[in-house]
Amino acid sequence: MSTVDTTIPALTQLSDDELMLKEAAFEFAESAIKPRVHEMDEAAKLDPDLIKQFFEMGLMGIEIPEKYQGGGGTFFMSIVAIEQISRVDASAGVFMDVQNTLVNNAFLRWGSEEQKQKWLPILANEKVGAYCLSEAGSGSDAFALKASAKEDGGHFVLNGAKLWITNADEAEIFLVFANVNPEAGYKGITAFIVERDSDGFSVSKKENKLGIRASSTCEVLLEDVRVPKENVLGEIGKGYKVAMETLNEGRIGIGAQMIGIAQGAFDATLAYTQERKQFGKAISDFQGVQFQLARMATDIETARLLVYNAARLKASGQKFLKEAAMAKYYSSEVAESVTSLAIDLFGGYGYVKEYPVEKFYRDSKIGKIYEGTSNMQLQTIAKEILK
Amino acid sequence: MKFYVCIKQVPDVTAPLQIKDGQLLQDSDRMILNAYDASAVEEALVLTEAHGGEVEVVLIGSEKSKETIRKALAMGAHTATHIQTDDTGLDSAVYARILASFFADKEYDYIACGKQAQDTDSGLTGGMLAEYLGIPYATNAVGLTYDNGLLTVKRQGDIGQELIELPSPGLVTCSNDMNEPRIPSLKGIMQSKRKEVTTLSTDDLGVDANALEVKTRILGFEEKPGREPGKKFEGEPEDIARKVATLLDEESGVL
Ligand SMILES: Cc1cc2nc3c(=O)[nH]c(=O)nc-3n(C[C@H](O)[C@H](O)[C@H](O)COP(=O)(O)OP(=O)(O)OC[C@H]3O[C@@H](n4cnc5c(N)ncnc54)[C@H](O)[C@@H]3O)c2cc1C
Repeated sequence: MSTVDTTIPALTQLSDDELMLKEAAFEFAESAIKPRVHEMDEAAKLDPDLIKQFFEMGLMGIEIPEKYQGGGGTFFMSIVAIEQISRVDASAGVFMDVQNTLVNNAFLRWGSEEQKQKWLPILANEKVGAYCLSEAGSGSDAFALKASAKEDGGHFVLNGAKLWITNADEAEIFLVFANVNPEAGYKGITAFIVERDSDGFSVSKKENKLGIRASSTCEVLLEDVRVPKENVLGEIGKGYKVAMETLNEGRIGIGAQMIGIAQGAFDATLAYTQERKQFGKAISDFQGVQFQLARMATDIETARLLVYNAARLKASGQKFLKEAAMAKYYSSEVAESVTSLAIDLFGGYGYVKEYPVEKFYRDSKIGKIYEGTSNMQLQTIAKEILK
Repeated sequence: MKFYVCIKQVPDVTAPLQIKDGQLLQDSDRMILNAYDASAVEEALVLTEAHGGEVEVVLIGSEKSKETIRKALAMGAHTATHIQTDDTGLDSAVYARILASFFADKEYDYIACGKQAQDTDSGLTGGMLAEYLGIPYATNAVGLTYDNGLLTVKRQGDIGQELIELPSPGLVTCSNDMNEPRIPSLKGIMQSKRKEVTTLSTDDLGVDANALEVKTRILGFEEKPGREPGKKFEGEPEDIARKVATLLDEESGVL
């Protein structure tokens, strides 16, 4: 055994804390999630018992400081955990991703001290959150949102319809972006904390999806929902900043989800190609197959380096906008191509649901769509390199 | 109740192993908490959570084995003692001697060990330690219950389960069939950093040189001999049946 010089850290070299959480998340995914994956995908629903276990493991409040009863971990630990969970199930992966990198993140960054004390312990230990920005008419052009908020005494009255809301089925706390002054354009956008049991608030149609089926995606309706003023997160009219800045970081989480998916498909393929015999040999004995495996491994490594580097840049307080966009863009390409190749290498067995790879393929597609489509990532990258 | 659990760091048995020139080579240098010890830690935690008390883990090993101590602390053990030694060639008798020196002046209700370690499968340390300490001892527990200051040890016998009363202070070795060791939560992981780990050397414990002398040494490793190929019969069923009967009766004498 050679000695490792840890003072020259490789990007993939994890700290003790990161490594321990990675192993715990891996074990949790293998023992608690894997046996339920197929059933949850078929039922298009997360097992409620599993949700409880996510909280008990501390995976729903990773970066929330211990003084707010959270895990006291780091952004990089969230990334490592999302990757490990997504390696087994990308639906479970995005379930914890949205909570950690979007909802908790927004509260941590923009919440007042009172708001943190009130909401963070709940988010870390019992309640699922959702992030409501997109609408039917505003996706990539998110700031063209139509949901409105009108001041009325000590309250705001919210109206509108949010589409594609992840975790909406399970969530009890919703971060809703609405415009208090449409004439001011995006400068009217404001972030509101809305509770599920508010009058006029409802979770409507659940989407029937291609992939990440067990992750709920629903329409959310707001009909004269009265939200107290103390539930404005951040400043009035600065909601666009809340949205933009959380999404910039959230993208790295989606990158982690994508490399998890690719790794899961690759691990299954590596094992299968060594077992499957044709022409009297394991198919992994054929150089043609070996080269395909080598390419998959290289693609995953490349994407992982992009994701980890973006996460380390963010963690160290450096600029990471371009790198995060690159990480999400590229890792979603890799997830799609690796999972597609995985099906090819499984042959007919790859095409049926008794084997895991068709699901990895279906799950991979979402990476190019949510938290900014691939075109939007390219736009961000282009803007950065041309400025 | 004060529970001590003796734990060992072992190579990750799921990683590929090779034998080359009589030496054991491993693809990964990943080391893990011995699975039987993990069950012992889990059971001690369950009992102290239900009846009050503390769990302290004790590990003999190198600097690197600190990570395994941390794993046990992340699971929930309260404190740890690390008896540091870089000698990787120690045998069960030496481990037991060192542990006996450690426990000589300690007060405790019970000591739990894994029934064996995944790397050597010797299963000797627990028994030897109980003998050196002169305390009662039960092996291969698949369940523990605690009532009125007494531990009842459930053992798996050939016909049914055996229940043994183990007075305190006593020592029990644990099977991994006993429970499903918990996965450390993030809180456990973060708290484990702040838990007290006492580091001692064998000198600190006053273990004498004679006790540290290893009497059994590993000479080397050999590949397991492959199984001899079986016999294959072809032809008509009647024919095959006759051949098999002859083989069982005359050649091998089984019948
Ligand atoms: C499963 C799922 C979960 C989701 N979860 C959430 C959630 O929790 N919260 C939330 O707020 N939203 C969520 N979304 C919404 C998601 O973020 C949007 O779908 C996404 O931003 C794209 O918006 P759109 O669907 O309206 O597509 P559009 O914006 O209409 O885009 C359609 C196509 O046009 C391209 N395009 C658009 N504008 C340009 C341009 N200027 N230049 C080049 N190409 C362009 C896009 O790249 C895309 O290929 C989710 C979506 C899905 C499918």
